[in-house]
Amino acid sequence: MKNPGTIETRHSWLPKVKPASLFGWSVVWTLLLLPACVWAQDAATQAMSVEYRDIPGLGSRNVIWVIAQQHLLLAGFVLGVPIFAWVCEIVGWKTKEARYDTLAKEFTKLLTSAYATTALFGGILLFLLIGLYPKLMAYLSDVFFPSFILYCILFLLETVTLYLYWYGWDAMQGNKKGFHLFLGFLLNLFALGIMIVPNAWATFQASPVVVADGTAIDRAWAATWNPTWWPVNIHRLIANVVLGGFICGAYAGIRYLLAASQAEREHYDWMGYVGNFIGVFGMLPLPFAGYWLMREIYQYNQQMGITLMGGFLAWLFILQAMLIGVLFLGANYYFWMGITYRIPGSEQSYKRPILAMLIVLMVCLGVWMTPHSLVASLEEARKMGGTHHPLLGVFGVMSAKMTVANLMILVTFMSFIMYWRAGKQETSGWAKMAKAVMGALLVIAGIAVIVLGVWGYFVPAIIRINYFSVAQVLIVLFIMITFTPLTAVLMKSAKTMTEMVWGRMPIRAAYCLVSNAVMVILLMSLMGYARSSSRVHWHVYGVMRDTSDYAYSPALGYAAAFMSLNTFVFCLLVAFIFWVATMGDKGKKGPERGQPAEEPAKIPMDATPAMAGGAPREGEATPKG
Amino acid sequence: MSEVALLQLIGLTVVGCGILILLFITSKFLRVVGFVVIVLGTFTLIALGVPQMPSLPPAIETFDIAKVKTPDDLASIGQKIFFSKGQCALCHSIGPSESARCPDLKGIGAKLAPEFIYESLTEPQAYIYLDFRHEGLPKEYPARMPHINKNPIALSKQEIYSVIAFLQKMSGEPISVKVEDVLGVGEEGDVKVASVHGAY
Amino acid sequence: MKGPLAQTGILLVGMYVFLKFILPLFTAPLPASLIFLYLALTVAAAMIFYTMSGAGLEEFMGPIGRFLTGEGQKGVATTARVMVFMLFPLLVGWQTYTKLAPSDVPPPENRTIHPAPPGEFVGLSNPFQKTQENIMMGKGLYAAFCSPCHGANFDGKGPASVGFNPPPANFGDPGTIAQLQESYLFWRIKKGGVGLPVEGMPWKSAMPRWEVELPDEWIWKIIMGEYDGAGQSPRTWEEEE
Repeated sequence: MKNPGTIETRHSWLPKVKPASLFGWSVVWTLLLLPACVWAQDAATQAMSVEYRDIPGLGSRNVIWVIAQQHLLLAGFVLGVPIFAWVCEIVGWKTKEARYDTLAKEFTKLLTSAYATTALFGGILLFLLIGLYPKLMAYLSDVFFPSFILYCILFLLETVTLYLYWYGWDAMQGNKKGFHLFLGFLLNLFALGIMIVPNAWATFQASPVVVADGTAIDRAWAATWNPTWWPVNIHRLIANVVLGGFICGAYAGIRYLLAASQAEREHYDWMGYVGNFIGVFGMLPLPFAGYWLMREIYQYNQQMGITLMGGFLAWLFILQAMLIGVLFLGANYYFWMGITYRIPGSEQSYKRPILAMLIVLMVCLGVWMTPHSLVASLEEARKMGGTHHPLLGVFGVMSAKMTVANLMILVTFMSFIMYWRAGKQETSGWAKMAKAVMGALLVIAGIAVIVLGVWGYFVPAIIRINYFSVAQVLIVLFIMITFTPLTAVLMKSAKTMTEMVWGRMPIRAAYCLVSNAVMVILLMSLMGYARSSSRVHWHVYGVMRDTSDYAYSPALGYAAAFMSLNTFVFCLLVAFIFWVATMGDKGKKGPERGQPAEEPAKIPMDATPAMAGGAPREGEATPKG
Repeated sequence: MSEVALLQLIGLTVVGCGILILLFITSKFLRVVGFVVIVLGTFTLIALGVPQMPSLPPAIETFDIAKVKTPDDLASIGQKIFFSKGQCALCHSIGPSESARCPDLKGIGAKLAPEFIYESLTEPQAYIYLDFRHEGLPKEYPARMPHINKNPIALSKQEIYSVIAFLQKMSGEPISVKVEDVLGVGEEGDVKVASVHGAY
Repeated sequence: MKGPLAQTGILLVGMYVFLKFILPLFTAPLPASLIFLYLALTVAAAMIFYTMSGAGLEEFMGPIGRFLTGEGQKGVATTARVMVFMLFPLLVGWQTYTKLAPSDVPPPENRTIHPAPPGEFVGLSNPFQKTQENIMMGKGLYAAFCSPCHGANFDGKGPASVGFNPPPANFGDPGTIAQLQESYLFWRIKKGGVGLPVEGMPWKSAMPRWEVELPDEWIWKIIMGEYDGAGQSPRTWEEEE
């Protein structure tokens, strides 16, 4: 932007890096790939004149898009899985159930290969960014150099901890388990650091602050604390847990389909349940984090907020509503199938509440997916007097969307509680009482959310945003925070009427788990696109303009094709990582199977095996909150 | 074939492949792949079904002295600088704002003389409050304002004058920065703002 | 006919009749895109509900599967099956044809009514005091320049408004100026229809570019007059004004 007249040299493939940033890049490269140092030193001799380079045919932005998305999704997976594994390990340690520990270990095993792949994509991304966007990278390294170093240090620490955590798993069982859990904590702590440091670079691009005088550290520190840094950190942290959970579910789903024995089927059915459970539990607070982020963006710069919510990206949020809707439906469908299949004889008694919840979910989804400006032909638009429908137009605004999102979260939470309590019977009087109170509270909360939503139409926007929406969120959070421990206490005293039977879920449950994972990955790609393209034609919003050929933002269809491609490639990568990581197990298990692989395919999954697999596993089927 | 039609064709083909896999292939893993492909293809087709609207960047504007004729022209250039190159709006707002980290500049053009604004922009530490809320000698509150005429923002004198003109206009004041003076200012020129508007 | 399949069919027809014919009795008719969306959601709901259990799945999908595979069919059913198999490709072909055939119907409208303003307009605020004098002056200017289209009653029904598509904004509607900040109005008045970004379809709006005729001071005062006259207040980040 400062020299708009600078001639772009598209033929020179030699990178040019500012000497000041050279050291930073060298450190990064040493960690990843040693030859890079030699490469970068050559670079130092070049003049700083190239602003952009292109890859003919593919387009530099498209290449960066794919690589960055893969890196980000893998990173989300690599950061989400340790949280997931660590929580499982703690549950296993507390409940003394070995299967949780096994599950945690099974997933940590994936980490080592996934970690390397993530770093590999990070390396490729960095190469490409330096090569294709030298102007931007020179600026960013000028601002953020000290945090590059910090990032490298964190990376080293994370690597060491990961190796200790994984290779020490069996050695640290028993009385050393506490130390191992502490290692897990450290692993997650460093992982958090690894996530939030680059988040600062990305959020600075979207919401820069003035970086004035002072030392390099002062400047980096000031730039790090930009307005959207923490909202993005929180949002990504939660989303990573969701990603980890649902990918675990999808993995279990596929293994469930491929399972050759009833024991395997039971194990993977249970694993799918745990994955879905963690995914859903993470997903419930996620919209709140998203809301906070959106609010910060609006406050930081209204133009960016309008671009996202009402401007050219508005349709993206309708697609988002669709994906989230499918995800919510998928998660609930899985819960409901869990009730009908895993708890024998419960189908009839739960039919009515399920129907009620389904209707509420669908109505909410209908409201959420109704756009503000409708797609209408000329004729239709004339009859409506514009593209706003006089009656349904009210569904298009934020107040309605917030309300239905909150209601959907409430319903999903109810689904979860219902599943938890299925097959149990309260015995004591106070438990029945508590149950009634909870039911009443839930109804009141639902009504309060609706009342606030409707009232929101009649107050100034600022009141709605500052008080009403926040109140809605607090009500739903309150319900979730109080009900979870309360139900846990109730369940302690309850008598189990019907034990859960594992390994009887139908094929479509497994597909449901796969679909949930795909939805989460697609959502991450979609919202990543939203975050990135809300900067429109700026590299650093309002500070450094994108003067390349790719300064425009592509239309949604084109973007969606890339999102789908990215999702597909990521799924294949993850499948590959799982396959590589479990190759050893198959070698061990191979002889035990002794059955031809085709055989189980002929067993109709929907047919109810006569209590196949014998007695259910000991211990409770449901986790402790 | 238009880009959208091409993408639709690809999407339909992909979904078709997925359906074929589900119909004819028994390998469980491949069936899952087919299912995923159908889901992703359908998503793309839906996204292609909604109105397609790329967002084009506005034309790049430069500070063109030749076009400046009236103080209003100066102010409109100042307006653009205020919200982009000058980075003023990263901290300051005009009118109340929740997100502003620095003083609200509403009415500042009426409160302060142009010379004072110029000095505040180029010598932010020149006049600052002293902090007496502790024992001993008062301490200076260092202004968090960067030097606008130095790197990284580095506005030229003309640009700073345009911003001042804009600030005066936003205060409902007559613009006292004169076009001739601004045009006359070279890189080494002195601060020449003709009339001091008696605001205080 | 009591199976889940029949129930779903009845539900769908009922929904369609309600959305297409009954709802328009009370309000404007719904666009086809919206009806399609709601029907799709209904189908999804029915499928989820009826396939919750193995028995339900069989009841719901069984007849469809048997019909398509022709298992144990005879007589009318066989003919119907053959008919469906013949009609389906034709249907797809017809759909493709209607999508691609040239027609004189304009494509569905999707204009973003309130696109994002350019960066240099977001942070402005009205430099003039909200005094009775300024408001009266604004109203006077409004009567002279704006009321021919936007109406003397601020309802978008001025004498010149007929024939414009999109119609001039109705300032009394809470979805227009009440949703926006004063700086937004300043931008729209100053730059007019041609100043809209591409998603706002600058070629559609007939709003003049007032910067060539009115000084900024007048525009700010007109904004004041508009809000006062329409009984609205601008969106702000402050809680009290």
